[in-house]
Amino acid sequence: MQISMEAAAGAAWADDVDRSAAARWTKATADLWEGLQKYWLWGTMALQDIRLRYRGSIIGPFWLTLNTSIMVGMMGVLYPHLFHTTARDYLPYLAIGMVVWQFIQTVINESGWTFWIAQNVILQMPLPFSIYVYRMVARNLMILGHNCIIVPAILIILQVPIGLSALMAIPALLMLILNGVWIGMFFGIVCARFRDVSPILTNIVQVLFFGTPIFWDPAALGKWQFLVAFNPLFDAVDVIRAPLIGKPVADLSWPILLVVTGVGSIGTLWFFSRFRSRIAYWV
Amino acid sequence: MVFFALSFADCLLGLILSSIRLHAVEVDFPLYHNSNRSLKKSMLAMSTKGNFARDSLNRVTVRALNDLNLTLEQGDRIGLVGANGAGKTTLLRVLAGIFEPTRGKIEIEGRVTAILDASVGLDQDSTGRENIILRGMYMGIHPREMRAYVDEIVAFADLGSHIDMPTRTYSSGMLVQLAFAISTCIPPEILLMDEWLAAGDARFLANARKRMSDFVSRSSILVFASHSMSLLREWCNTGLYLDHGQIIAAGPIDEIIESYERLANS
Repeated sequence: MQISMEAAAGAAWADDVDRSAAARWTKATADLWEGLQKYWLWGTMALQDIRLRYRGSIIGPFWLTLNTSIMVGMMGVLYPHLFHTTARDYLPYLAIGMVVWQFIQTVINESGWTFWIAQNVILQMPLPFSIYVYRMVARNLMILGHNCIIVPAILIILQVPIGLSALMAIPALLMLILNGVWIGMFFGIVCARFRDVSPILTNIVQVLFFGTPIFWDPAALGKWQFLVAFNPLFDAVDVIRAPLIGKPVADLSWPILLVVTGVGSIGTLWFFSRFRSRIAYWV
Repeated sequence: MVFFALSFADCLLGLILSSIRLHAVEVDFPLYHNSNRSLKKSMLAMSTKGNFARDSLNRVTVRALNDLNLTLEQGDRIGLVGANGAGKTTLLRVLAGIFEPTRGKIEIEGRVTAILDASVGLDQDSTGRENIILRGMYMGIHPREMRAYVDEIVAFADLGSHIDMPTRTYSSGMLVQLAFAISTCIPPEILLMDEWLAAGDARFLANARKRMSDFVSRSSILVFASHSMSLLREWCNTGLYLDHGQIIAAGPIDEIIESYERLANS
């Protein structure tokens, strides 16, 4: 062992390549890639999260299916009268809208907690930070898997015709997953540093639920209908919902969603590379 | 300046085998005033006895490690001593790659195994056996690969029939035995250990020590932080005395413990 206790020995050169933008970029992309390869770890973490949440419960995560069914069932009976439409038209629209919305909502709400709740692991085990983001998205995908059981049920009961165009829901879901990753990363970092952002986010999403055509038809807005397309949350729901109920996707939904995904992902990649080394200090 | 001359052969091997080099490493913890984390803040403030500074953005920071220059070579068994808040755990976290130093540079050759906490990655409701796979995943080992080690880990952990019981029922000593057995199933090249090891019983400590000496003879580095002077004497050959984030003394473990105890009692 050698120890040099000369103060500032080599301090001048110590702030070197390790902190250059290129080195940070390499570390950030390596983190994302290595995290992805450890799918067995974040997959298990996500499963454990769900198991823990429903420990001792008899029907476990199927409570989610039940909750959503009751909610959709109730709204499906009441709202067709309010909106002067039929349950046959309205129910599939509502059910898919709600299921997709719940995914988006919980991803955004939980994004602020991505790193925060993993504090004890982050401080004890050197693991890629992206793992906690993938875990959050995977957990919500598993929940989506339980929730969406009601969708085929409704489509079959109401005999909604399904065409090949329904397959477009698959790339749409992938797009949502990608957005979930950058959202989880971005707000995970921001909220690790600024704890107040998380409740603000929750409030905003709550309000947006009513402002986004999930349970109401954008046509109700009349001449202002075009504004809806500029709400990326609507676009995200629309690209999945429209193909499944055999309606055309709004013209601007895909383009705007793609722009949001691109800007969000690239922006977050920069953000992550800039602040990755600080996460452990902030949690 | 303290300097330990190494033989030529040691230097040569050190180039190939595991080594740790710290150059002017500094770790500053930021303290955010308008944040809702006053408990953490006040705890840090207490434990570091007011080692504060202000950084370039005028944030209050607490310096946990200050200008550390250190080279560890294979065969080094370092015992970290120092009061609470001296920077022992922070140093271990820097070596583990958890904290990137705010300034300075760190170079590590060799695979680092950090067992800083016994319970991380263990699921309370799963059995000890199931937890072997689980903790292995947290260590970055694929479950398929980990399965090959299960029997050996079960044997070393020496928990008898408890291994098939939920870890919720374990005592802290049993958790330590399990965690140590899992963490060291693949011979570590650089092993970092914090305090918690002391919770094991005498028989386990003897086994663990035997395993450790095997590693170290196979060109590993051990860095061990503890308040148990007898454990440090037994496990380590070199002592590093930290105070306020600085190395204030280094040398043979017995001398360092002596000076630490003298200073602590004065």
